[in-house]
Amino acid sequence: MAQTRPFFPQLKWRALMSSNTTLTLGFCILAFFIAAALLAPLVAPFDPILQDASARLQAPTLLHPFGTDNFGRDVLSRVIWGVRIDLQIALLGVLFPMIIGTILGTVAGFLGGIVDTILMRIIDIVLAFPFLVLMLSIITILGPGLASFYIAMALVGWVSYARLVRAQILVLKTMDFAVAAQSLGYSRLRIMFRHLLPNALTGSIVFAMSDVILVLLNGAAISYLGLGVQPPAAEWGIMVAEGQGFITQAWWITFFPGFAIVCLALGFSLLGDALGDMWEAEV
Amino acid sequence: MTILSVKGLSVSYQDKVETRSLLEDATFDLGQSEILGLVGESGSGKSLLCRAIIGLLPSTKLSVTSGDVVLEGRSILGLEEKAMMDVRGRRIGMIFQNPTSHLDPVMRIGDQICEGLFRHGSYSKQDARVQAIELLTQVGFPDPARAFRSYAHEFSGGMRQRAMIAIALSCEPEILIADEPTTALDVTVQAQILELLLELRKKRGLSIILITHDLGVVAQTCDRIAVMREGRIVEIEEKRKLLSAPQHSYTKTLIASHPSFDDHLASRALDDDIVVEEPHIKPIFEVDDLVVEFNAGKSWFRSKAAFRALAGVSCQIFPGDTIGIVGESGSGKSTLARAMIGLTPITSGDIAYDGAVLTLKRDQALRKLRREVAMVFQDPFNALNPRMTVEAMLREVLETQGEIARNAIDSRIDELLELVGLDVSFRPRKPKSLSGGQCQRVGIARALAVNPKVIIADECVAALDVTIQAQIISLFKELREKMALTIIFIAHDLAIVRELCESVIVMHHGRIVEAGRTEDVFDNPEQDYTANLLAAIPNIDPDKPIGTRTVARAIQGN
Repeated sequence: MAQTRPFFPQLKWRALMSSNTTLTLGFCILAFFIAAALLAPLVAPFDPILQDASARLQAPTLLHPFGTDNFGRDVLSRVIWGVRIDLQIALLGVLFPMIIGTILGTVAGFLGGIVDTILMRIIDIVLAFPFLVLMLSIITILGPGLASFYIAMALVGWVSYARLVRAQILVLKTMDFAVAAQSLGYSRLRIMFRHLLPNALTGSIVFAMSDVILVLLNGAAISYLGLGVQPPAAEWGIMVAEGQGFITQAWWITFFPGFAIVCLALGFSLLGDALGDMWEAEV
Repeated sequence: MTILSVKGLSVSYQDKVETRSLLEDATFDLGQSEILGLVGESGSGKSLLCRAIIGLLPSTKLSVTSGDVVLEGRSILGLEEKAMMDVRGRRIGMIFQNPTSHLDPVMRIGDQICEGLFRHGSYSKQDARVQAIELLTQVGFPDPARAFRSYAHEFSGGMRQRAMIAIALSCEPEILIADEPTTALDVTVQAQILELLLELRKKRGLSIILITHDLGVVAQTCDRIAVMREGRIVEIEEKRKLLSAPQHSYTKTLIASHPSFDDHLASRALDDDIVVEEPHIKPIFEVDDLVVEFNAGKSWFRSKAAFRALAGVSCQIFPGDTIGIVGESGSGKSTLARAMIGLTPITSGDIAYDGAVLTLKRDQALRKLRREVAMVFQDPFNALNPRMTVEAMLREVLETQGEIARNAIDSRIDELLELVGLDVSFRPRKPKSLSGGQCQRVGIARALAVNPKVIIADECVAALDVTIQAQIISLFKELREKMALTIIFIAHDLAIVRELCESVIVMHHGRIVEAGRTEDVFDNPEQDYTANLLAAIPNIDPDKPIGTRTVARAIQGN
């Protein structure tokens, strides 16, 4: 033992260093977007919904660095204003399913038996439907809008988290520390959420961050179908959709909002990786 | 004749920050058909030494800094990877501690053996099959043709280890390196595997390097013993010389902490008269015809035959007693313990703790149990929540129990740590930064935090080094004296039970086969099973044979 001990602090330090590069990078990207969202009225050169018939479909110039769209709106300004909505979609669209799924997965995995069976069958049913079809039908029932989108996302998206966490909990609950907690007379809630869940969370965090990409794309798809954010609001999904018809003449209408989606997603996923590593390194 | 000689081998760890020496100046010779035992605590560099010999260092940050490895007059240290691959397997074979993780789960045992045959020899498919079956026969499979077609999961731990030996033998190596080959196995199975190694040495003239932490294992199988500590071979000597006249102080500690039988016979005999039977005391635990069944694979439409972990167990445990429950793995020891504190559902029978019947008034009995009975677990790392500090763990117990005022908790934590021999500075540490022995101490402190009347220790020293085992055992003895604890000590290591326990229960296949005072049971076992269990224990006396002949018969009998 004495031989290997001094390794640990050093290894941990190295692990933190290597994850720090991803952490810093992810954090910078997100900070950039958040700054853009906060400062949108100041940094955006034009009004995002102001139409200018004289400046339709202009290629990127110094005046319009990202060009203009078919209504003559400045694409840069629209991308900047779009951060406000898309950040919200990314955060809320992931947060709700993650919370619901993690809690239900923990409960199902820990209690087992009939609770587990019922929850898992519900998950099977949800998964049996094509994701988008289910989303669309829920949103149609609730009426178009962002609120409906979040609700639909929460109702459909939790299943992945539940599965992920449940599998972890099943392994963890047979481990001695869980049995020890039981033998010491701790309440079930305490065992579930104080002892088991923190040890099962890594996968959930990392998955959530990569899930951000899917949620953003979903949001875009829903908006494209006219069920999410309503035009003329600046949202990247709508912008991509609107620019689609002009892709051969004016690539910039689609390219820049698409690129913004990629960057934001990248930021989240880098941050997620780093956070997951840090959460693990704490053990 | 020397077949392999290691000369001044040093291995060090190097990264940007520092260079540390992990193995220093290891020198030894291995003779033709000699068995060399390599003993030492975990982390002493035993495994690293062997890996360095076959050129498979576990990390790129490790490198051989000096020394040489000579195999039959030829240095193999600087050999290219391609030439080295020929040495591995064909010249030097290796078997590992955990056969389960070293066998390919999706490949038939036979195919895994044939793989080695094809790699190192020129066999036709038919010949390879014949040869593989021959090998399986040699390592003692009763039905080698069937074993050839089987997968690893179809075998028990001992059989898997045999399969792994067969695979290692398939390349006909001259040297076999066995890295803790029996650590994960029961004593009886361990004895069989060791006997198999001895037999192979005789038949094939194999030279063997046997790595283990159990001095008993090497004493009975090896010719020479090398003792390692902190990367150095501190002593290497013919086994009888080493055991009877150890030179190095560490070797002496190692021998002293080996819980071998014979040393205790004398002292036990003296104690005998002092202990007085107290039959009028009410038992603290009463178990009556307890049956526990597990449903293996229940489905909605049919219930498969249940597996009986306990088949009618009755016993009484008196307050202040230290009772050992022994038996092979799968004999139901742990199930009994877990059923006693209500962690495992009972199929039929009764358990009463201090008058509270668990089967009748479950909630009430459980509340009492949780407050007065605590458990210590086998794997010290597993038993602690990796995310919590030592302090948080103890605080949690004290807060949940709610028997101590909030402002007194702090001092109680210090008190508990002191009780198990840990410094106050351990409070903010997490399990990761503790050694196995320290973890186990924290586990015991957590158990004591309940202020229990009874402690159930489930194989709590099995995962620890011998020297640390000895420390934990003496800690238990000390606590028993200080706190008048009743201790239920579950172990497969009978020597430890002998040392610690006043009475003992021997279990086999979910039944109690023998129970009574430790001396009576161990000195005059009434049942063959007990006798065989006793005979299979590795003894530090090299002249005692490993008692597997009788054991093997008993196992076939079952």
